[in-house]
Amino acid sequence: MGSADEIFKEFKEHSVAEFFKKNRQMLGYSGKIRSLTTIVHEYVTNSLDACEEAGILPELEVVITQLGNDHYRVSVSDNGPGIPKKHIGNVFAKMLAGTKFHRFIQQRGQQGIGCTGCTMFAQITSGKPTHVVTSTGRGIVYEADIMIDVRRNQPSISNEKEYEQDFRGTKVTAEFKNVAFTRGEYGPGEYLRRTAVANPHAKIIFVDPDNQRFVYERAVSVLPARPTPGKPHPKGLDVDDLISYAIHSKERTIRTFLVKTFDRMSTSKAKEIETKSGLDFNRKPDSLKWEEAEKIIGAIEQTNFLAPSTKELKPIGEKQIREAIINVLEPEFYSIKTRAPATYRGGVPFVIEAALAYGGKAGRVINGGTRAEIMRFANRAPLLFDAGSCVITKVVNNIDWKRYNFKDVENTPLTVFVNMTSTYIPYTSAGKTAIADEEEVVKEISLALMECAREIKRYISAKHKKHERRNRKLTLVRYVPEIAHAIEDLTGKKKQEVELMLMHIINKKYGDVLLDGEEPEKEPEGGPEPKEPKPDEEEKPEGPEPEEEPEKQEGEEVLPKTPEGDEESDEVIEEED
Amino acid sequence: MEREKVMENLQGLGKEVLAELEAGRSPTIEIPVRTLSNIKFNEVKEQLELGSSVSKRNFMNVAHSRKFMQTLLVAAWINKDLLSKNLHTSLRDMYYALKRTIPGTKENTFEDQHTESDPIVVDLETALDVLREELHLNADVRGRVVGNVVIEDRGDTVDWSKLGSGGWSIPSNVEDIKFKEVDAKYILLIEKNAAFERLHEDKFWKHENCILITSQGQAARGVRRLANRLSIEHNVPLYVFTDCDAYGWYIYSVIKWGSMNLAHVSNKLGTSNARFLGLTMTDIEKYGLEGYTIKAKDMDIKRAKELLKYPWFKHEEWQKEIKIMIKKGYKAELEALSSKGLRFITNTYLPDKIGSKDFLP
Repeated sequence: MGSADEIFKEFKEHSVAEFFKKNRQMLGYSGKIRSLTTIVHEYVTNSLDACEEAGILPELEVVITQLGNDHYRVSVSDNGPGIPKKHIGNVFAKMLAGTKFHRFIQQRGQQGIGCTGCTMFAQITSGKPTHVVTSTGRGIVYEADIMIDVRRNQPSISNEKEYEQDFRGTKVTAEFKNVAFTRGEYGPGEYLRRTAVANPHAKIIFVDPDNQRFVYERAVSVLPARPTPGKPHPKGLDVDDLISYAIHSKERTIRTFLVKTFDRMSTSKAKEIETKSGLDFNRKPDSLKWEEAEKIIGAIEQTNFLAPSTKELKPIGEKQIREAIINVLEPEFYSIKTRAPATYRGGVPFVIEAALAYGGKAGRVINGGTRAEIMRFANRAPLLFDAGSCVITKVVNNIDWKRYNFKDVENTPLTVFVNMTSTYIPYTSAGKTAIADEEEVVKEISLALMECAREIKRYISAKHKKHERRNRKLTLVRYVPEIAHAIEDLTGKKKQEVELMLMHIINKKYGDVLLDGEEPEKEPEGGPEPKEPKPDEEEKPEGPEPEEEPEKQEGEEVLPKTPEGDEESDEVIEEED
Repeated sequence: MEREKVMENLQGLGKEVLAELEAGRSPTIEIPVRTLSNIKFNEVKEQLELGSSVSKRNFMNVAHSRKFMQTLLVAAWINKDLLSKNLHTSLRDMYYALKRTIPGTKENTFEDQHTESDPIVVDLETALDVLREELHLNADVRGRVVGNVVIEDRGDTVDWSKLGSGGWSIPSNVEDIKFKEVDAKYILLIEKNAAFERLHEDKFWKHENCILITSQGQAARGVRRLANRLSIEHNVPLYVFTDCDAYGWYIYSVIKWGSMNLAHVSNKLGTSNARFLGLTMTDIEKYGLEGYTIKAKDMDIKRAKELLKYPWFKHEEWQKEIKIMIKKGYKAELEALSSKGLRFITNTYLPDKIGSKDFLP
């Protein structure tokens, strides 16, 4: 299977149309449901990136309208910096070949072809151009229809308009056929809900085909720090990465290519690699063949490098996740953990952030019941598809939730949140829908989730304890009238007085638990309640003992189960009534 | 115990609870433990009795509070509706009288007679050291008696020698019976009704000047208490005559040493000077009854092995008897004696045994 990087290589040699048709599956355009979600993903990602890069707190509106069977219009508008007129074609109708290689930077999980893919897909399925309205906010608004001239492999722009209006941002509208909308976990609604969780600095409005409006308010008004570009660490490379970098390199020798391109790669390290690989490095890097690249990667594996710098990693942040979770899930309780940066494959830095949210709107409502859900993110971008092959799902399923008092975790109102931040996310396939099983990644996700689970466990058991105390009080209170009545019969003491005394005893231990219609009992000030001066030393512990710790029911009375209970076998029928 | 005294004790229970409440403590009720672990055999008194373990029923302990409530309900009801009105009733009646839904809940005060209200009565018997009959709760009526005895029962004078073929039916409560005349050399308590009928028809009690009682199976409390009072108050020896098997022997054991279920009242129900007359394994051999035995079932053997271990069956003679049974693997009914003729029991077996004092301890 080819990776996205190989796709790029191919792309250089083919037209957008050919490339798109050949690689639809990998670009996310497979299946009606997934295609629509991919379209939303591309536009939203583009908008968020544009806003962040320009230092603007994003505000997005996504509107999906049904026009017919499997026929929808998607419109996404943002308050971003707008697109200068001359770049419109590049953004919506051209592949920005090699983008990824300009910077070694953590990115949302773009499919590489981005918005151009949407333009192409709209054109293929509906035959209609993509309509763009944009302004950089200087009073001039630019509007145009964009298509791709398949023959010339160039943008084709028509219906251009320019007018004065006070507006800043971009609105893109396109029609698609052969797509389907779902409210399910693979649909745009869920995609945007999760995007909101991972991007609390964004306000996201979603209007679905039934004209239902979902608003995810901005939860934090600080933009996430921009990841700083850095060089890739050699330990994170695989063969086709190396070839891709090599092809784009302008260096004269492989040696200088290695030193200039990669982090922690000194001249002496490059020489060491040269010796170990047995290759001649005095050649142009783009002459590197696959087998030779394999040898270099092999040599890198046998060589020690300084650990990579983690400064380019910008996780979401605990405060941001907290605000987002409270905002979107309104949970009864939550726990958030950020692990320290770690590396996998010997050098790719990554950070795991995990959260558990319990109660409230956490979990997914399915057929009236609330089930647990897993929200997977790679560099803040929600991963909706291929859950089964994703390492996050696997780790969640491997956790023994019963240990954390989740007896039936699947039917618990629980949202499991995991975001992996990395300069290089190890996807399982070019579709970029699932994260691969890397040992270190598994370990970090497990540790983060288990820490969260421990906290939730403490909370839930405290909650259970409270519930239990309430039940106990209810039990005791229920018997008060009966007992008081019997005491009146036996002693002549007025029933009402006995009831008061019984309630007083109960509230000594359970005064904090208020039942319906009950008011907190006032401490009698020298009142009629005879205060006990000192507990009787002789007495065995009994009654409302000063124990506040877990209330085990002490020493269950040793009473026979039945009159003819367990002794029955020892005796012939004693008597019957 | 006098009715007033019993009432006082019941009310005392309520007063103790009230006192604890007034002191601001969680009220408790103490009930002697009646499990096997707290049942001891008193070698001196030759009686099963309760040990000193006491359990506390604590209102504030939710595992106890329901029982706590039930105990007080039963105590209050017996005090008010039975004793103060001098009425008697059965456990079943009491269960229905007390069963009701607790207002505002779906819970009943009592859900079941046998597991809930009956045990509370035994609790009170134990805690207050009274008989159930003294709480005016009667057990079933079973057992009959004939003999040269005149009694007074609820104002009626009854002569046990002038009751025709039926004899006097022994009530559950024999506490208030007054013995006006007792003329008997011994009491013969018979497990089987048929043997009683035989002896009664043969006027055995008249010739022998004895009191004949049939327990009709396991002896009911009335039978045990009556035998106990007659034997102790009038110094008449008590002989017990049962089938020759583990169950028959255990009937004897209950009459003599008391039972485990009612260990708290052994002193009133157990008659420790009772003697076992028959039927023994030795009798079977001696009277040539081997041909009329029944093969012992597994349960019979198991039960016999249990008897072997009871401290009150440790007498050598008993050990010997039980071991013979286990070895031979058969048992016999009283009726086996009829194989020697219907009146063999009247004319030969009993006079023989009693005359030679061929008893087991």
